[in-house]
Amino acid sequence: MADYMHDDPKLVERLRHPATVRAAFGEVIALYSEPLYRQIRRMVQNHDDANDLLQNTFLKAWSNIENFRGDARLSTWLYKIAVNETLSHLERERKRRGISLDDQEAALINTIEADADIDGDALALKLRKAIATLPEKQRLVFNMRYYDDMRYDDISAILGTSVGALKASYHLAVKKIEQFFSTDD
Amino acid sequence: MVKYVKRISPKHTVMKKEDNEILRTIARRDGITVPEGYFADFARHMADALPERPELSQMSAPAPPSGIWGKIRPYVYMAAMFAGVWCMLKMFTTVTAPGELTPMDKNPVMAEAFGNDDFIDNYVLDDVNQWDVMDQMMEDGFDPGTLDEPDSTDFEAAL
Repeated sequence: MADYMHDDPKLVERLRHPATVRAAFGEVIALYSEPLYRQIRRMVQNHDDANDLLQNTFLKAWSNIENFRGDARLSTWLYKIAVNETLSHLERERKRRGISLDDQEAALINTIEADADIDGDALALKLRKAIATLPEKQRLVFNMRYYDDMRYDDISAILGTSVGALKASYHLAVKKIEQFFSTDD
Repeated sequence: MVKYVKRISPKHTVMKKEDNEILRTIARRDGITVPEGYFADFARHMADALPERPELSQMSAPAPPSGIWGKIRPYVYMAAMFAGVWCMLKMFTTVTAPGELTPMDKNPVMAEAFGNDDFIDNYVLDDVNQWDVMDQMMEDGFDPGTLDEPDSTDFEAAL
């Protein structure tokens, strides 16, 4: 399991004290920038949008920091905000451009193909295109489980979906990806 | 022009049973890169760009831990609860178990007291409400007319 899914109790404690909250939040940004960026980027497929959404995620978390009382895990809370920001962005984009979910899927694949920020790994690129064909929620589940190696319990806490449904969703996603690879060969 | 060199594929290499051959081969590489030093720069700029929130100084700090008592308090409460349940069970057992722990059997002082006629007269019979006794007798079909004692008519008059 990814290390950043474990909360540091001292950091959480400092987030709850007025005197230390700002400095502690700076540490939260440093700690969670990369995993959250990666999660967002795999959904929106380009760096500039991912960068904006990451900023929005932290701004939203900062403006609601007094509501974080340690009942939920810090990582879960931040992932929830990031996921909501990402899904809202994708929906806004669909409305702005007047396109359907299917059209957006095709657009994402084009974005992946045109993406300059990739390391030339053909197989990894093909997998990203295969993932882009999945429904949004299934894509989220697959990304968290496969790339971030998250436990189903953690994904369940973030997405508010039962573990059983997540397992089924991941299984379906793997099958669809397999199919994508076999038809695309 | 920005130089993209930072590869950010996850470090995990352990594959799961649920993954197929393709996913095992790709080994969680997503191929995504970011500009060099992006995350360090982002964290610094983001922390600087956070708006001031003076209202946070009003945020109530959590209550400080109250030392050993704070730690053992839940266990003490739980122990007290079990002790209470044990006492209740013990009491019910004492009251309901036939032939056990009755005062006369187990308490020689009580046994001696109840063997003393004066004690019965002074401390037991005086407490019996004679009206209640007569009430019960009447309900059981007692006929006051069968009594020779003149007091019985007084009792009837009193009713």
